[in-house]
Amino acid sequence: MAENEINTLVVRKPCFGLPTGCTQCLSAYLYLKFAQLPFQLDFHLNYPDSDQIPYFEVGDYVAYNNEKGGVTECLKRDFGVVDLDIGISSLPDWISTKAMLTTWLADALAYELWVGFEGYSSSPAYTIYYSDLPWPLGKVLFWRKARWIKQKHGITNENAELKKEEIYRRASSAYGALSTWLGEQSYLFENRPSSLDATFLAHGLVVLQALPESSVLQPKLLEHGNLVRYVQQCKTELIDASPTPTYAWHTAGSSSTSSRSTSSSKTKTKTKSKPKREKTEEEKTFKRRSKYFVAAQLVAVVVFITIMTSFDDAEVGLDE
Amino acid sequence: MTHPLNHNAAQNDDVVHPEPEDDEQEDEDAEEENDDDDDVLPNLRAPPSPASKLQQQRFKVETLARRLSSEMVPIRVHDIVVNGNTKTKDWVIEAELKGIETATTMQDLMRACEAAIARLQALEIFDSCKVRLEPGPKELPNTANVVVDVVEANNTVSGECGVYTKPSTSSWTLECALKYKNLFGYGDIWDTSLAYGGSQATELSLGVYAPLIKRLLTPIVARIMLVSQDWQEFSSYKEQLLGASLGLISTKHHDLVYTLGWRTLTDPSQTSSRSIRRQLGHGLLSSLKYIFKMDRRNSPIRPTRGYAFLSTTHLGGLSPDHRSLRFLRQEFDVRLAVPFGFYNTALNLGISAGAVFPWGQGFMNKTSPLPERFYLGGDFSPVCTLGGPTTLWGFKTRGLGPTEPRRQSRNRDDDNNGDSPGWDFIGGDLAVTAFADLSFDLPIKWLREHGIHGHVFAGSGNAAKLTQHEYKHFSPRKFLESFRTSVGCGIVIPTRLFRLEGNYFHILRKDEHDRGKTGFRFSFSAPS
Repeated sequence: MAENEINTLVVRKPCFGLPTGCTQCLSAYLYLKFAQLPFQLDFHLNYPDSDQIPYFEVGDYVAYNNEKGGVTECLKRDFGVVDLDIGISSLPDWISTKAMLTTWLADALAYELWVGFEGYSSSPAYTIYYSDLPWPLGKVLFWRKARWIKQKHGITNENAELKKEEIYRRASSAYGALSTWLGEQSYLFENRPSSLDATFLAHGLVVLQALPESSVLQPKLLEHGNLVRYVQQCKTELIDASPTPTYAWHTAGSSSTSSRSTSSSKTKTKTKSKPKREKTEEEKTFKRRSKYFVAAQLVAVVVFITIMTSFDDAEVGLDE
Repeated sequence: MTHPLNHNAAQNDDVVHPEPEDDEQEDEDAEEENDDDDDVLPNLRAPPSPASKLQQQRFKVETLARRLSSEMVPIRVHDIVVNGNTKTKDWVIEAELKGIETATTMQDLMRACEAAIARLQALEIFDSCKVRLEPGPKELPNTANVVVDVVEANNTVSGECGVYTKPSTSSWTLECALKYKNLFGYGDIWDTSLAYGGSQATELSLGVYAPLIKRLLTPIVARIMLVSQDWQEFSSYKEQLLGASLGLISTKHHDLVYTLGWRTLTDPSQTSSRSIRRQLGHGLLSSLKYIFKMDRRNSPIRPTRGYAFLSTTHLGGLSPDHRSLRFLRQEFDVRLAVPFGFYNTALNLGISAGAVFPWGQGFMNKTSPLPERFYLGGDFSPVCTLGGPTTLWGFKTRGLGPTEPRRQSRNRDDDNNGDSPGWDFIGGDLAVTAFADLSFDLPIKWLREHGIHGHVFAGSGNAAKLTQHEYKHFSPRKFLESFRTSVGCGIVIPTRLFRLEGNYFHILRKDEHDRGKTGFRFSFSAPS
């Protein structure tokens, strides 16, 4: 199989013992693991503020995370990846669980990473998102993201403590509800993996592995033993186990690009030489002719002015 | 108005007056020596009539002119006085008066004064500059005092608008600038400019030009800029650079510029090919660019004799942070113009080559930065575009070189669209171009008088990717065999500012995805 045809999930930096430190990227990774789709990882390290990452490539086809419900939805719809949510996405509790995971828990982790630590380099966000960027760039992007989070939650100097308590209280409530919902099951819904399991497990892995002991969020998760066991089990089965069925495991070789070689410069097999519609051809011909007409007019004016000016100079010279 | 020789003329019979010169030239004054005689015998002679005075002055000037043209008139500069500068520092003006102090003859002194006036006017901070010669002290014969009268510009704010060419991006830019002159009295010129050009390039910058800072040999040029360039149509990415540049050395042959900037590559259309996609993001540019240029051609617009050589070395990654963009880019450009001696025929030959590669740990696995690669093509004539391998007749902007297929969509709606997604030109790490251009006068006299001439030409070029182990697949033979070639003929209309060509191109060889077409096209080129 050509190198370009290999399923590739492009994610952010691997760190803290995880294949990637970014929760969205890890969620996509875990979903593909659940779906048992063979793929390899590649890394995009210099674009921390991109909403396109993670993206999935196979050949010249790409599914970006900022399209049509996210990379997981694109994979299900356009790449034929098995839909693990069939039969459960219509359940009443599905939406509320999804909302809890994508708002309360996601907001709490984002707050902890970008606002909860003193200093830029003491936050795990530095390692996950900015460690491969030169210091001034990473610092400015970190500050910009922190400012965005504060604006999103309406945090000011006056209400900072109140907002912080509110964010962590909601996270606690969410952990409690999830713990109650999970119980002793292996997965959140009908005892089988789904995209929500991938979402929560990604969150849980980052909270337990990446956050330091001084974290506020980590102890709140540790209060719920079944959730911790659930996360640890996932780590053991999907991450620590021998990597099958993936093609290869690549580590970042440079600060700005992946370590894989790019495709050859003249790939002709991918060309789709479909005949163009006549209407488009006519429009292009018309546009080209109109450009020539305008250019010819402009050239005539310029030449006229230049030549006439040189005529005047010659006449002045003769007079002198 | 006095002339230094007139004091000494009191001691000998040879009184000379300088011939009146232009206001732009030095003003030389001549005084009547007959005033002494009038003082001695005031009652014996009537005051000279105006006509008589004029005649005497004319005689003195003619005598001086004869003397200047026939012999070296010795003179020594005693003192230099600067008048009229209220804001400009004295040493700024005095620094432009070099050569005057050391003049030993009248002829040298006049030449030095002309050069000084030209340098002072070039500072663009004075409305007028005049240099006068006055006699030195009576006890010091053959001496002169040089008096510099300047009038500082009333309007310190001025505006400029112009159209420039940027061969590196194969585009034109319209630039409007607002200048504030002499803010601190150092001859400094501050400007804010806004430029808009092809490929939707926009630039907003603030700069300062300080011609003289004490103990520094060359002017200081510093700029802060925000540049954005849209390459979406050709390579599916947009580039933005926020940074500063500092001109360290700027002489006739040498240029050294340091640039520090934050560069961001984005793809809003999300259609980029694989290698473009992997380079999107942020990078820190900290680089030094050295240009050595020697242009001995008789004309940059229509060279008919002479040669030119250009070498550009661009080293990126000059920061302690190993995560900045690290690359080394080298270009060479050699030109030769050979006259044939009939019908003003001349053969212009040129060859350009360039290479770029990353450096640092693990450089073998890295790729060269996208904006630093070589992109060939554009509607510029290579005859007057001196700046490395950039263009080839007949090919559009970024119209030849390595390509990659753009993203394809698996959406069912897009399947109904018959258009191919297209190809991205990803640039080459190695590029070579060469051309031969034979220009000749046309038989019509009116065309000859206006410099309009004909030419036939041939050009060839190629670019290849070498980084990320692609060099293993590179062979010089394959590289030579895949050279794109074009020939053609046309009419050239050289103007004062640019070279306009109306050409017919015939593409002899191109690759499947190159954007070059046989046909007729106009091109505008400005000398660089």
